[in-house]
Amino acid sequence: MLKKLMAKLNPPPGPAPQGVLAVYTYLDHFCSAIEHLRSTQEVESYETFTPTSYHEVEHASGFGYSPVRWFTLVCGLTGTFFGFALCMLIDLDWPLVTGGKTPGIYSLPAFVVIGFEMTILFGGLGTILGMLIMCKIPNPKTTILDNRLSDDRFGIFVPNVGPNSSQAKLLKELGAQEICEISGT
Amino acid sequence: MSEPVWTKTISDVNPGILINMRNPRPSYYIAWAISIFGVLLGGTCWGIQIALGMGVTGLTSPVFWGVEITNFVFWVGIGHAGTLISAILFLFRAKWRNTVNRSAEAMTIFAVITAGLFPLIHAGRVWDLFWMMPPFTNSNNVWINFRSPLMWDVFAINTYLTISLLFWYMGLVPDLASIRDRTTGFKRLVYGFLSFGWRGTAKQWWHYEAGYGLLAALATPLVLSVHSVVSWDFAMSLQPGWHTTIFPPYFVAGAILSGMAMVYTMVIPVRHMFRLEGFIREDHLESCNRLILLTSTIVAYAYAIEFFIAWYSGNVYEWAIFQKRAAGPYAFYFWIMVFCNCIFPMLYWNKSIRRNIMVAMIINVLINVGMWFERYNIIVSSLVEDFVPGSWGHYQPSWIEIGITVGSFGWFTFWFLMFCRFFPFISMSELKLIMPKPLSPEGRKALQHSSLEGEEHV
Repeated sequence: MLKKLMAKLNPPPGPAPQGVLAVYTYLDHFCSAIEHLRSTQEVESYETFTPTSYHEVEHASGFGYSPVRWFTLVCGLTGTFFGFALCMLIDLDWPLVTGGKTPGIYSLPAFVVIGFEMTILFGGLGTILGMLIMCKIPNPKTTILDNRLSDDRFGIFVPNVGPNSSQAKLLKELGAQEICEISGT
Repeated sequence: MSEPVWTKTISDVNPGILINMRNPRPSYYIAWAISIFGVLLGGTCWGIQIALGMGVTGLTSPVFWGVEITNFVFWVGIGHAGTLISAILFLFRAKWRNTVNRSAEAMTIFAVITAGLFPLIHAGRVWDLFWMMPPFTNSNNVWINFRSPLMWDVFAINTYLTISLLFWYMGLVPDLASIRDRTTGFKRLVYGFLSFGWRGTAKQWWHYEAGYGLLAALATPLVLSVHSVVSWDFAMSLQPGWHTTIFPPYFVAGAILSGMAMVYTMVIPVRHMFRLEGFIREDHLESCNRLILLTSTIVAYAYAIEFFIAWYSGNVYEWAIFQKRAAGPYAFYFWIMVFCNCIFPMLYWNKSIRRNIMVAMIINVLINVGMWFERYNIIVSSLVEDFVPGSWGHYQPSWIEIGITVGSFGWFTFWFLMFCRFFPFISMSELKLIMPKPLSPEGRKALQHSSLEGEEHV
């Protein structure tokens, strides 16, 4: 029983990525390579790596708006609702009487602060959640292809091809400084 | 402002910062020892206060908010600059922020944590505090009063601490991944765990940037709201000297002033200890001083308007409080505040003073002294004389309270120094963004060409 559960929680690692990693030194070469790959479709699937968030790469990759903003909106509005509901529902049990009126008649201005703070809190938590989900992190099974990619190099990884394939040659032509073979061990 | 001239490239960032992080100058350890001493002193004083009761403080009728609440407001104010630099300057695309934002964010977290201690210290019997927390309150049918500014403050500060923590940690993730890629063995495991398995794919950066921008947009009104809510702790009362509508903007400007001054005060020594002069340039520090100059003028204006309105309102109680602030028994503190916050920072109109690190350091330490006394002035001078002359009194902090205050500085500095030792003190990924882009020789030529024609380049 326990063994089965453990096996479910820790599935055996799948095949490690195998393919070639083209390492670029220059941002402009890297961007034009991405643009070339996008326009010609010569390489079916590939993954790009950058050391920091250069907007040039975002433009070259043709990314639009990130869906993270929907998480922010939905969670933020939930927070507004929660903040006001918190004050009002507690008011039913412990009335904050306004002008001698019966409980259930609210004086909202005082609750705006709570509603506002909860909007920000929930919106912020939602943004982080959205970012984590969209980035697919935390991921304990990450494979680091090359240590330089978080330092100062750019990379394009093409899975399931060899260093002598046409794809690798194309990447070299597009200005790659070197082509590394990533063996799936 | 002209672009700073970089002698380093993005390839120098990771090695430059990480090697220095592991190998600080001896002054680091000296500062660390001093801060530990401060913590011990503060802890002892708090221990004495717990053992003997609140009688060891100078608090007595009619003043029950003294140095401990002053410290609370002061540290919350200090905590402001971090998210201001991270969020508001990020939205304004002020590039210089990328060199100091990490330290400012860390400062925010530690300052808010320090501030959070003071309601506990001030409340006296800390071992009974759980009665104030759910579910004890609920089960005893004691619900919270959502009309109380003190309750708003609890919500505001906790939200601020949470959002600041998230913002700070989100910025740290790619940098921790950089450290992971440069280390081996156990360290690699720890930093790999802390960096959530960040890979740095273009897609990840895309969502990350979107999330960062949204968080900045949420944090901006939050920064402005938190100290407004803190000011309502005072302004919503009927106490003369507190009951004014100018308090929220006045507190926010003051908080930014003290926070920026504290960023400068912390960054300069740490920059020296970790040999980071090549990354935090004089131009970036000068921008910091410009912001201090701006907020100092706003604070000076607020002081003047406060006095004007007190006189113009025709309210005798209000005017009497203000006259006593400037010429009464607390006048000494008042003039310290005016000189430190409004007069000395005016030297920053001079460019050579803005760029002189030694002089600027002295001015910024004085600003922190001035801002502390501002809070002291507001709290104490209004409380000593209420509407009933028979209950008027005098407040003098005891050495226990002063010891706790010193301890809070030690506590704050201790955590800040610990942070600098184990986490990248400069946001490496963001620093790379403001450095010259790694372009090929042809690309660089094309860029020069297009900038001569005034075109936007890709």
